[in-house]
Amino acid sequence: MSDKAFAVLGLFDSPDGLLAAIPRLRALGLGRLEAYTPYPVHGVEKALGLKKSPLAGMVLVMGLVGALSAFLFQFWATGIDYPIVVGGKSPLAWQAYIPIVFEVMVLFATFTAGLGMLLLLNRLPFYGHPVLSSRAIAAVTRDRFALAVEALGEELDVQAARRALEEAGASPVEVVPLPASDGPYSPNALLRGLLAIAASCLAAGLLTYWGIKLMPVLPPMVHMEDQPRVNAQAPSAFFADGHAMRLPAPGTVARGFLPYGPASREEAAALPNPLPRDAAVLALGKARYGTFCAVCHGPLGDGVPTLTAAYGAKPANLQSRTVREYPDGVIFDVITRGKNAMPSYAWALTEEERWAVVHYVRVLERAQNARDEDLK
Amino acid sequence: MSAPAPSPLPEELAVPRYLEGEVTAGSLDDQVLAFPERKPPLKWFVAFAFTAALAAAGFGFIGYTIATGIGVWGNNRPVFWAFDIINFVFWVGIGHAGTLISAILFLFRKTWRNAIARFSEAMTIFAVMCAGLFPLIHVGRPWLAFWLFPYPNQRALWTNFRSPLLWDVFAVSTYFSVSLMFWYLGLVPDLASLRERTTHPLRKKIYTVLSLGWRGAASHWVHYEKAYLLLAGLATGLVLSVHSVVSFDFAVSVVPGWHMTIFPPYFVAGAIFAGFAMVVLVLVVVRESMDLQNLITLDHLEVMNKVILGVSCLMAYSYFMEAFTAWYSMNPYLHHIFRQYVSGTYGWAGILTLSCNVLAPQVFWFRRARRSYPVMILVALCVTVGMWFERFVIIVISLHQDFLPSAWHLYKPTPVDFAILLGSFGLFFTLVLLFARILPVIATTEVKAILPGAQPHRHGGGHE
Repeated sequence: MSDKAFAVLGLFDSPDGLLAAIPRLRALGLGRLEAYTPYPVHGVEKALGLKKSPLAGMVLVMGLVGALSAFLFQFWATGIDYPIVVGGKSPLAWQAYIPIVFEVMVLFATFTAGLGMLLLLNRLPFYGHPVLSSRAIAAVTRDRFALAVEALGEELDVQAARRALEEAGASPVEVVPLPASDGPYSPNALLRGLLAIAASCLAAGLLTYWGIKLMPVLPPMVHMEDQPRVNAQAPSAFFADGHAMRLPAPGTVARGFLPYGPASREEAAALPNPLPRDAAVLALGKARYGTFCAVCHGPLGDGVPTLTAAYGAKPANLQSRTVREYPDGVIFDVITRGKNAMPSYAWALTEEERWAVVHYVRVLERAQNARDEDLK
Repeated sequence: MSAPAPSPLPEELAVPRYLEGEVTAGSLDDQVLAFPERKPPLKWFVAFAFTAALAAAGFGFIGYTIATGIGVWGNNRPVFWAFDIINFVFWVGIGHAGTLISAILFLFRKTWRNAIARFSEAMTIFAVMCAGLFPLIHVGRPWLAFWLFPYPNQRALWTNFRSPLLWDVFAVSTYFSVSLMFWYLGLVPDLASLRERTTHPLRKKIYTVLSLGWRGAASHWVHYEKAYLLLAGLATGLVLSVHSVVSFDFAVSVVPGWHMTIFPPYFVAGAIFAGFAMVVLVLVVVRESMDLQNLITLDHLEVMNKVILGVSCLMAYSYFMEAFTAWYSMNPYLHHIFRQYVSGTYGWAGILTLSCNVLAPQVFWFRRARRSYPVMILVALCVTVGMWFERFVIIVISLHQDFLPSAWHLYKPTPVDFAILLGSFGLFFTLVLLFARILPVIATTEVKAILPGAQPHRHGGGHE
């Protein structure tokens, strides 16, 4: 605490006493007059010559800024940046923006009114004001009314102010000393304030990043990645053999893959062709023959391949007497197990398709070796 | 109204003073601001343990819902909105009474509001907190709820600004921020009084920080009063807009029974109705348990009950107009759903709504009923139940039978639904109990300003 006085402050018991004292002290012009009251006492602001609050104008301007920014933002976002058609209307239709425009206007206006009043006009928070450490402040926030003569830069005439307040009816009167600290607007204080703002910005930014990018994917918030199942090839402790996937029971046969019965070609010769000789079967046989057989045996089955000579082997002529006299079962067996240079085609053709191909081979043979009665 | 001049009116017509006995600014502080200093009585701890347990159970079931999925609720097609949205609308509505009392009655210079404004504002904030909980858990993954806000994101998408659900997000979050600001602004001078009174070092520290170094300077009061007036004006427009926007959630859709132009004013009236009932309920308890009979008088409660009666008549008119609109529409779907409101599986809910909201408050035509604790508690409970079921009628009955009979389905809530509803009541009353013990329950600064002799005589007493 320095010896310098910040103010001389006198307490009054009633608002009337306070109001009566103000003009008398104003006339003396000892310093800046300020009243401290537990609630707004009407008439004091006029007596002190205080100006009207500019808050209404600030609120109006900021309210309009809020409304305009809300409107332009919505218009840009849903009309221009990512046009959305809602209800068959143009993406630029603006009428549905009104509710949000109103809400944002109120939000801006309210925060201007509240924070503008506290922070800008009243310069709060201010914990170091000299009056806060006076003896009178407890009474002022309760039920008494204080009038203070405050120093206006130069030295305050403490004696004159004390006398004037006592004459006006104040009791008790105290001198409020000026605190030794350098006040809230010194370079040091401003630097501390700026650092605090920077630190809070950084903290808010990091917190937002965590909340948006990291927190939503932390367990247990892992969306659908958390699925109670095991993958087919993965190990699993659930079964004794450690495999997630089960093996089929012994003797299981897949549909359409019955084990091939005949042990030799002679046995196979006895197999009858189970398929009927109808258009659908012949169409299937023709298609499969064209895909797998014609490339070597030729489209007509005459052993003239579409391959070049570089292939080396000589495909069988299906029109030859030998082949023509084969039973169906032998041709089926050759397709199934292969013969000489010809590999097995069991991988490519199902049993049914092989029998269909056998039918088609018979058709080719008959077409190339037609009997007289076929021509009638 | 505090002027002691002899009135030419007979006594029963004189305007009540809304104060009993001798109240001075100092005695007011000693009475109201002493609560945070004193150890709460045993009954407070009992009540707190009960409500906190209820809230904890509610949060437990919310945790269960989030861990399991909202399939644990009764919601299923076609009733996708049920308890969650009913509770949301119910709690937002409760909050509206607080803003009405603190803002609209302030603009009308009804000084009787001063004694009860603080409590109702606090109730607004707590009710909006309860309300906000429900849409948050209804989204299923509440940790992604920030997707509701339009922020630049790697999906390059914006929220749909033409959706009433997004309007709701803006309306409710604005409402919460504004209510909080309004409440805090009123608290600042009271917190300064608390700061100077308390001797406990920790409490002094907290009140010092919260009161921002308020020192009651005349040059500050000029801006403060202007700010309060502006906030009251803004909050008035806001409170009307918020429940209108909530009603748009329904009215903008094409569901029969929801697609009604009367919804915005009808919802606002219903909100104020339910909120006043809740304020009466809580005020009766506070008045008796905290010995505030001299500050919250029977005259206050009587005025509140008059408001309840008035709004009840407004509700009756709304119900009638809604039914008339439905009948006059010549729309068979609308006819069908309005018949379902009072008959059919859920018809009892509609009958309950009408009797609780329209019939029960009619006893307030009698002065003795308006001043009787048992009657006003009973009516307030009726209105609370009735307003909850009104939202049940609107939401569940309208949804369960819409255009396609093949999609009709009955809705049945699960125990989890009820547990979360009770949990929200637990949360609300826990916050109310905490508030009653750590902050001034009466806006002492505002009451001081209207005490007899509080304003200079030549200025003509009273609050302007």
